[in-house]
Amino acid sequence: MANMIENSQSSLGSSVAKFLREYYIYFVLVAVVVLLASANLDRFDLFERGNFLNERNIINILRISAPLLVICGAFTLLMVSGYIDLSVGSAMSLSAVVYAMLAINGVPFLPAFLITVCVGVLLGAINGFLVVRLKITPVIATLITLSLYKGVALLLVEDGVSAIKSSALAKMPKWFNDYGRDGTLLNLPAAFWMAVAVTVLLVIVQRRGVLGKYAAATGGNPTAAKLSGINTGRVVFLLYVLVGVTAALAGIARSSFMSLGDPLSGDGMELTTILVVLLGGTAFSGGEGKVLRSFCGALIIMSLTVGMLTIVPAYYQTLVLGAALLIAAASNHLVSRKGTS
Amino acid sequence: MTSVADFLPQKETGRRMSDESFITLLVVGVAIGLFLLASAVLPNFFQFQNLVNLVTNNWAVISLGIGVSFLLVSGNFDLSVGGVVALSGVLSVYFAQAVGGANPLSSGLGMPYVLAIICAMGGALAIGALNALFVVRFKIPSIIVTLGTMMVARGVAQVITHGSQRNTNLPDSFGFLGNLTMFGTSIKLPVVLMVVLLLVAVFIEKKMVFGRVTYWIGSNPVAATLSGINRGWHVTKLYLFSAAIAGAVGILLASEFKSGFSNRGLLMEFDALVIALLGGVAIAGGFGSVIGMFFGAIILAVVTSAATGLVLSPDWQFILKAIAVFLAIMAQTWALALRNR
Repeated sequence: MANMIENSQSSLGSSVAKFLREYYIYFVLVAVVVLLASANLDRFDLFERGNFLNERNIINILRISAPLLVICGAFTLLMVSGYIDLSVGSAMSLSAVVYAMLAINGVPFLPAFLITVCVGVLLGAINGFLVVRLKITPVIATLITLSLYKGVALLLVEDGVSAIKSSALAKMPKWFNDYGRDGTLLNLPAAFWMAVAVTVLLVIVQRRGVLGKYAAATGGNPTAAKLSGINTGRVVFLLYVLVGVTAALAGIARSSFMSLGDPLSGDGMELTTILVVLLGGTAFSGGEGKVLRSFCGALIIMSLTVGMLTIVPAYYQTLVLGAALLIAAASNHLVSRKGTS
Repeated sequence: MTSVADFLPQKETGRRMSDESFITLLVVGVAIGLFLLASAVLPNFFQFQNLVNLVTNNWAVISLGIGVSFLLVSGNFDLSVGGVVALSGVLSVYFAQAVGGANPLSSGLGMPYVLAIICAMGGALAIGALNALFVVRFKIPSIIVTLGTMMVARGVAQVITHGSQRNTNLPDSFGFLGNLTMFGTSIKLPVVLMVVLLLVAVFIEKKMVFGRVTYWIGSNPVAATLSGINRGWHVTKLYLFSAAIAGAVGILLASEFKSGFSNRGLLMEFDALVIALLGGVAIAGGFGSVIGMFFGAIILAVVTSAATGLVLSPDWQFILKAIAVFLAIMAQTWALALRNR
């Protein structure tokens, strides 16, 4: 990363590479949207016939993207600092279940929301504790909590029921559904605006804030960061808590959209999140990455998965997402090598 | 974690046992201790047949664990094995199904069974080669690559089976291998294969240059390269080795159930990783043994079957797995620190 900055001042070739590295994601997003808009989407009635770019469809995609959009920013910062969290999916499921339980037992919106966010803080703090204090490798530590959070989420739902939902005995309150579905500003739900707000906040944190700079320093060269007086342990801990909070927000958005607390709703979310963050050009080894580019990556993946449903059957999804993950990782590698050579 | 002393002949380090044997003994001790504890608490647990079942029920994961352990020792992940199990099983069914069935899911390519097996193994090895290509040539972190190839492998399996399974129009010989019992007992061929693989793996690990080179690469990649070891080729062989085992497991499972199911082997990659970690294989590379991995599997089997015996809901397995891995990692770190104080 450091030598990339040095090189970028010299030749034309590397400045082109730098430009590509900085902005390619926006071109990809435009290309994907143009492609889908021009494709013949008549096959299914999912969209209003043959038009990807109509209002209802765009709103629909943005609504179901809310959980991914809210997570990817904080996850980017964590990966920039050189760490990873495989437990986001389980943390999201657990928060979704907790939120639904609170709602169905008559807790009003604001307390339920705040308690769930506090659960997110706790889940993130457990990850941070395992990684920073007990010095367990991040992959293993978060693999342990992946299993743990999922187990707890499954236990919270009673036997014989697959999820917490409205029944004859108890009804979900109306506000529960509204947060993720009901159009507020520009016909988009509050959950989406929450994702936008979190992203704006994190962009500011990354550009202007101390935490963003410290995260990049920790990921770029941990030893140098430590020697220059950064408490890297605290930075990493805070980032894990941040990811925990956004996972809780994602859980709230998802459970609100589906109007149930499903202990499996976050399964595979860690893969999708890693995919969009890598697609956004974040280096897996840390030190390099932008929140906004991950946001774009998430929009690309969500447009693709929804758009794909109209072209091929649903069982092609795993294959396409896996291939996208490999391509994103490989192109990351090629672009960064062009930048340094 | 490992020192040069581990690679010197035992005579020079005195009669002190290596750290590796120490940890392996610790794991064996814990496995036996847990079995006795479970026997004391649960009626009918202390039976020879139960002990045999603990091993035979887990033949698939233990077999996968061999390849995964070798790769971990060399400092690489392999999370693709679960996907490969699904892929090779589905491929073997697809190739063996007779041509011209009533619907798309009942007509295959109509190959003779032996040829179908060979081609399915080819598919599994292709995934191994893909892993090696991305990890060795593109130098992308193995965890990302193998998560991607896991999705690709399972994705192909889902496309072939349309997201469900193929189990009709199969030749009679198809169910032979997976259900073949050996030596006049109820022990099946796959279990015997697992035992043979384990013995071969232990021999390679302890006595052959190939095994020792794997440890070299894991504990100090730079030194290994400088001393003339072709690291890339060695890791390539390990990935092919792991994919071949996973392929064989997938084919045997498909044969046992006479069906190719695209969700078979789901989460098996995590279980294989978990038992390797329980068995003392270090994620940093260069440390661990296949014997330890085997007893790690016994620990997990005892814990989960004891939980079933205690009439805990099956949802508990995730929490128990998390706790077991956490305790194993902490205990191993602590024991080594105490020993080498």
